[in-house]
Amino acid sequence: MRAPASGLRRVALWAAALGLALLLIGLAAAWAERREARLQADSVRRSMEVHALALRDAAGKYRHLPFTAGLHPDLRAALERPRDAAAQARANRYIAEVNREAGSDALYLIGADGVTRAASNWDTPQSFVGHSYANRPYFVDALAGRSGMFYGVGQTTGAPGLFLSAPVRSDSGAVRGVVTVKVSLHPQQAAWAYARDPILLSDARGLVFLSSVPGWLYHALRAVPPAEMDRMRSEQQYGPRPGFPALPWRVDREPGKPGESGEGGEAGYLVRTELGGKSRRFLAVDEPLPELGWTLTMLSDHAEVARAGERAWLLGTLAAAVLLLGGLYWQLRERRFAEQRNARRELELRVRERTQALDEAHAFRKAMEDSLLVGMRARDAEGRITYVNPAFCTMTGYAAEELLGRLPPYPYWHPDDVAQHWQHYEAMMRGEPALSGFESRLMHRGGREVITMVYTAPLVRADGTHAGWMSSVVDITEQKRAEQRQRQNDEQLQHAQRLASLGEMASTLAHELNQPLMALSNYASAAKAFAQQGRADLLADTLDETMAQAQRSAEIVRRIRGFVRQQTAGTEACAVDALVANALALVRGDMRQRGARAQVRIAPGLAPVRGDRVLLEQVLLNLIANALQAMEATPPQDRTVDIDAQACGGRLCIRVTDRGPGIPAALAEQVFAPFFTTKPAGLGLGLNICRTIAEAHRGRLSFADRPGGGTVFTLELETDAP
Amino acid sequence: MTATPSAPANHLCVVDDDEAVRRSLGLLLLSRGHAVQTFASGEDFLAGADLQRPGCAILDLRLGGMSGLEVFHALQAQDSPLVVVFLSGHGEIPMAVAAVQSGAFDWLEKPCHDERLLDTVGRALQRAGEIAARRQARQAAQALWDKLTPREMQVARLVAEGKPNKQIAQELAPLEQRTVETHRAHAFAKLGLANSHQLDRFLREHGL
Repeated sequence: MRAPASGLRRVALWAAALGLALLLIGLAAAWAERREARLQADSVRRSMEVHALALRDAAGKYRHLPFTAGLHPDLRAALERPRDAAAQARANRYIAEVNREAGSDALYLIGADGVTRAASNWDTPQSFVGHSYANRPYFVDALAGRSGMFYGVGQTTGAPGLFLSAPVRSDSGAVRGVVTVKVSLHPQQAAWAYARDPILLSDARGLVFLSSVPGWLYHALRAVPPAEMDRMRSEQQYGPRPGFPALPWRVDREPGKPGESGEGGEAGYLVRTELGGKSRRFLAVDEPLPELGWTLTMLSDHAEVARAGERAWLLGTLAAAVLLLGGLYWQLRERRFAEQRNARRELELRVRERTQALDEAHAFRKAMEDSLLVGMRARDAEGRITYVNPAFCTMTGYAAEELLGRLPPYPYWHPDDVAQHWQHYEAMMRGEPALSGFESRLMHRGGREVITMVYTAPLVRADGTHAGWMSSVVDITEQKRAEQRQRQNDEQLQHAQRLASLGEMASTLAHELNQPLMALSNYASAAKAFAQQGRADLLADTLDETMAQAQRSAEIVRRIRGFVRQQTAGTEACAVDALVANALALVRGDMRQRGARAQVRIAPGLAPVRGDRVLLEQVLLNLIANALQAMEATPPQDRTVDIDAQACGGRLCIRVTDRGPGIPAALAEQVFAPFFTTKPAGLGLGLNICRTIAEAHRGRLSFADRPGGGTVFTLELETDAP
Repeated sequence: MTATPSAPANHLCVVDDDEAVRRSLGLLLLSRGHAVQTFASGEDFLAGADLQRPGCAILDLRLGGMSGLEVFHALQAQDSPLVVVFLSGHGEIPMAVAAVQSGAFDWLEKPCHDERLLDTVGRALQRAGEIAARRQARQAAQALWDKLTPREMQVARLVAEGKPNKQIAQELAPLEQRTVETHRAHAFAKLGLANSHQLDRFLREHGL
């Protein structure tokens, strides 16, 4: 919608500009032409002045000659005495003399009747003497007492010339005759021939009587009125001519107005004519010669003017073209500038957008990093910390400024794990980071232990070179603790489950035992009463009942052993190391809680034992648990349970040794007795049942003092001999 | 109802699924001059014993069928005057405590000392006697009360609250004050009471 409109407007604009340019060029050309014409006219006028001067000179030189000559007595005499031949001769000689001296064409004396009395050419065949020139205007003028001037063709000679006349007066002042001098203008005309441009001289009637172009002679510049024609015929001014053809000119332009022509007078006018068979245009300039009554016209080749115009046109066009090209170039430049400006602006905009996008991305990244719970740490190729995120700072308790630029050992390394940290660091430096991550213990600034999972990846620059390492550090302390708790729970649960059968059995046993005990007590009491009452029969019955209940109690205790034996029904080959390991696994939580360690030494190549795996593990578990409990008062660094297994005399001995206070000799007898316990919450069945289990496996459970404090329990079992 | 007003509350029941315990207890109590009924299960006890006769029931907590507590709740539901003493075994102490809190007289842990057992049983029987006496008094009072006409009962309750005749007449309108006075006199005469204070106490003591 807009483009065509603007296109149209542009076309209109261009057209207007073109029109304006053409108009300007036209004006410039016209001006140049006019100026050239004026210059030419000036130049023509200048050269014409020379010609005019020559003409005036030619006329002026002889102006007073007739008058002067007329004063001569000889001439007067000749007029006075027309019949006096001598006088005539003297006059002739005189006139001839003067004529010769003056250099004029002819000098002659005409009587008042118009007949020539004496002439400079009296002795030539063309002598004027005797000829009447009464019809000639110069004669008429002189006779009237005026000096005459007339250009015409000689009636006698037929040669054109300027006739200057003066009256010859008598002493009384009456006009007696006329002296006329004829001056040929031929030398002037001849001089014109050398002029480059045509020159012509016309009289008051517009008849050309002198011209550098012979063809133009006796042609009329303008139409001659018939009266004038008649007069001319009678005066014989230009000889016997029937008429005067019009000059073959075509005046193209009116002569410029005098006001416009400046100092040089009229600017001239344009003439088109044929010359030498060619159509030519001339600039014509007229120069009136008022004292002579003539008009000198000089032509100048108009080609110069035209050329000037053409030059102006050319120059104008060239200038316009240059302007146009310049304009086009300028426009192109502007357009390019505009494009560049737009491009720059667009670039700036894009840069701004990009910057904004970058800022947003940066803010986004920062928010992301800040919100991360995972610690991020970047290090350069030397291991210098170059970046840490807030989560990492929180994790370690150090501010970012304290960590940036640090080389290992880093302040947050756990003092107990320094060797391990170095190991990890060196592995990373070698370019072998554990990509799957490794567990690492850190020390929070506040002294808190932080267990982390560290994942490290190489940090690669955009150009592909290795810049350092980026690690993500995940705090797994809670998870670890939870795991530990879970493991402890699991162990306790397993432990409890393993003990469940025994515990349940013990509980049942306790309840079952309570019944006969209650009955025993009741019967005894009743017996006592009956005894006091002297009721012997009832007393005896009651005592029988009492005995029965005692038997029943014993039976219940027997059943416990039977129960245990029943449990050992399933037997299998059990590897000793597996038994020990399983038992240890169950007390690991307890062991960690107590800060105790276990030292296991199992002789290689031991034969497996045959028995119930769960019960045997239960025995070992009880022994280890007892050992741990025995070391409650032992300093933590000494809390070590030694478990060693070896062959002893065809059987297998597993020894569990503690470093507790040992078993006092006073209690040694009761250790294996049922319901014996040193523990407030103990049932007192542990070792008793252990021994029962050992015996059920045809083994033995015994104990001894450990040299240096503590107790050694030895479980002796049969091996599963093939 | 079946008991004579002067009968002592010496009815003793032992419920235990262990025969030795049951028999030894029976023998022990017999040796101290108590007549004892023994039952092997809660169901037998509830079916065979006179549950409305005041006395003492010794219940084992851990029984074969119904548990001791269930039996106890059944007794409570029947508003039995029997005083309950529980026997608890190993690990049943919390249950026994809960039973006492819900109204049982006491509990004994097996095996228990005979003196403590006899002492507890003695105190339980004493409590049973008290309960029996209270029951008797209430029955007598109820008998007196039942002699009153419904209108007399109405008037008597309001009198016990200490309200004057005028107000009673207003509350029971269209009853005249004089009629109220008549009902009041009849009620006092029938119940053998002298004033409104005695009437109030009579109604409170016997839960009327």
